[in-house]
Amino acid sequence: MRYTRRRFLALAGAVAAGGVLPGCSSVLPAPNVTAPGFGTNARGTVKVWCRSATQTGLTSLVDRFNAAQNQLLVELTPVLDEQYVTKLATAIRGRSVPDLVDFDDINSMLFIYRDAFTDLTDPISELEFAGRLSPGHLRLATRNGRQYGVPYLADNSLLWCNTELFDRAGLDVDESTKAFDGLLDAARRIRALGDDIYAWSFTGNNPGALGFVVQPMVWAAGTDLIKGPIGAQSGNIRGNDVVQSMLEFYRQLWVDDLVSQRCFSDDGASWGSDFLAGTVGMFPSNYFAVVAASDEAFQKRVTSRLLCGPDGGAAFFDGGDNMCIPRGATNASGAWEFVKFALTVQQQSQLPAGGYTPVRSDVVSPEFRRESPLATLPLERIEEGYAPTTLSYNLLYNQPDGPWLQMFRRAVFDGQVTAAMAEAQSSFDRILELGQA
Amino acid sequence: MTTLASRTATPTETGGATRRRGSLTHPDRTALLLVAPAVIFVVVFVLIPLVFAVVISLTNWPLIGTVEFVGLDNYAAIPSDATFVKSVLYTLLYTAIVTGPILVLGYAMAVLVRAPRRGSTLLRTVLFLPFVVGLSTISFMTVLEAQPDSGAVNLLLEAVGITDGSTAWLVDGALATGLICVLVIWGVSGLTMVLLMSGMHAIPDEVYESAELDGAGWWQRERNVTIPMLRKTIAMAVIISVIGSLLAFTQFYILTKGGPGTDTMTVVNYIYNRAFVQLQLGAAGALSVVLVAVVGLVTATQFWLLRDRD
Repeated sequence: MRYTRRRFLALAGAVAAGGVLPGCSSVLPAPNVTAPGFGTNARGTVKVWCRSATQTGLTSLVDRFNAAQNQLLVELTPVLDEQYVTKLATAIRGRSVPDLVDFDDINSMLFIYRDAFTDLTDPISELEFAGRLSPGHLRLATRNGRQYGVPYLADNSLLWCNTELFDRAGLDVDESTKAFDGLLDAARRIRALGDDIYAWSFTGNNPGALGFVVQPMVWAAGTDLIKGPIGAQSGNIRGNDVVQSMLEFYRQLWVDDLVSQRCFSDDGASWGSDFLAGTVGMFPSNYFAVVAASDEAFQKRVTSRLLCGPDGGAAFFDGGDNMCIPRGATNASGAWEFVKFALTVQQQSQLPAGGYTPVRSDVVSPEFRRESPLATLPLERIEEGYAPTTLSYNLLYNQPDGPWLQMFRRAVFDGQVTAAMAEAQSSFDRILELGQA
Repeated sequence: MTTLASRTATPTETGGATRRRGSLTHPDRTALLLVAPAVIFVVVFVLIPLVFAVVISLTNWPLIGTVEFVGLDNYAAIPSDATFVKSVLYTLLYTAIVTGPILVLGYAMAVLVRAPRRGSTLLRTVLFLPFVVGLSTISFMTVLEAQPDSGAVNLLLEAVGITDGSTAWLVDGALATGLICVLVIWGVSGLTMVLLMSGMHAIPDEVYESAELDGAGWWQRERNVTIPMLRKTIAMAVIISVIGSLLAFTQFYILTKGGPGTDTMTVVNYIYNRAFVQLQLGAAGALSVVLVAVVGLVTATQFWLLRDRD
């Protein structure tokens, strides 16, 4: 047999096609979650992926699970947040998936919409505490009434207040944090306490953190920057008075020198350091940034409230992790057994130690209040947690070149509120249309 | 020449009648075996991925979901992709800014360390060190050192009275570009230095001695001896530098991620975003194929312009 060029190229083409064709079909078989005994007495190894941002919580959970029994061995693989979607998608296309993914809840729908996760509606309904699970998390994992993920931990945005500065300024925290007018009044009085005391702090050059803490001030008024169901979504920015009020509120903080000039370039590398230093009165952020890095004495000087809208209302970002079982998982039963362990009150109660909030409202007990007093607010008002359900969240809100950051910066730092909103409207429309195609 | 010509056998004389043109099985199997590892390497790691990239570029290839053949749609959409066009122009601008200084600085450093003087080995190491450390590490360090009020860049500029120390370098497109250019020129000139220095060492001393006897000064020797005899080495250094600049990614990804907005978006950065942020591998594949063609064209043009006309 002679290997002519033509024959060689044909062979090369066949090899290339052989590499391409298996990747074309990416829907893997779903495990049978209704089989008798599913999620009990499983054996073998359970491969779990978690994101690096919540690695601390998962690592100790896995250690406790492996120590508590000897039939299952959970192997944890942390994945960098920014690479998670890519790596999981590649694993699915390569038909070699983990048994369980601990996933940023905001990205859950991206995979659910592509039939990548297992329908867990039945096993979730069998959990006796199903009605106590965070509805915001579950909403992000629900499509056509079916649930494809279960909440594991919450990472919520709240307004943290330095009560010492509030007291010095003669302010009442509850009265000051009900609406924008009260916030601005409080901000001016706190700023008047001293040249090195600022009223507010935000990361003006970190799109993700800004989206996390600013959007709830829009949701609190019952509206969103996106409208419509997936498949027919568009921006809801031009002509949205609430969005305009929110941008003008931040613009006012900036022009009135109520925030540090550092906010202009703050990329979040030292998020919260100014608040922890006691030089900032109000700080929209999460439990981790405030509590995990501070001592007990400081924690006694802070309190939290939900973020308010222009004229009232309250909301918080229902971020955190959902646990999902990818289709094609080889030990789905073991994965579900691990999930049930992770959702027990005992395990959930330990989440604040790692800087996170539980996802079961019934975790709050007198003992929990005593141990983690600053973690109870979002659990008591768990119904007010929200996050938008869209396939394009990452593109809209988390990218430096995304429309969210560009709108915020143009409006707040350049003062072009109307033009920024008009520009964002068209960018939101374009990205949402592409994402749904 | 006559002897050589008479000794050169034609394919027919050496049994070429039994070897068809185009056959890959060259009669000299030893030679084939010797080149086989390189051929396999190129086929596996260059040709097959390239063919794969072309195949992907003809599909919608979402990172998640079902693949559909879309023909040349991805290519047709490129001219109307304003962000891509902007990133191409920005990359060309960046390439134009850094190429000259890298060559000049690399040449100057090579001149400084080429003579076997006391301490020249240490100096070579010091000057080459930034390249060894790598752009990734330097970029991560720069993220910290470019911070307003706290970074070394700002503290230094404040100390010498140029700024007030609060410059937000990475939040302004022009400032970020300037900073990255300085960083890259410093970081990669060491490679140019090493390339040119080895070229300089290959120039016979006799040539310089003849020039000195003719009364040539230092500058005349550089201009009339060193530079002409380094022509091929300079060409190689410039081509490596230009290709590196056209494919710039790491420093931009770490320092600005293409921002603010798309002000510092390079072509590769944009392709990365299309593939792994927007999850559109088909479109990214088409852009990559175009980039390969453009880089190939630019490189071929450079080879032609810098060819040895002798």
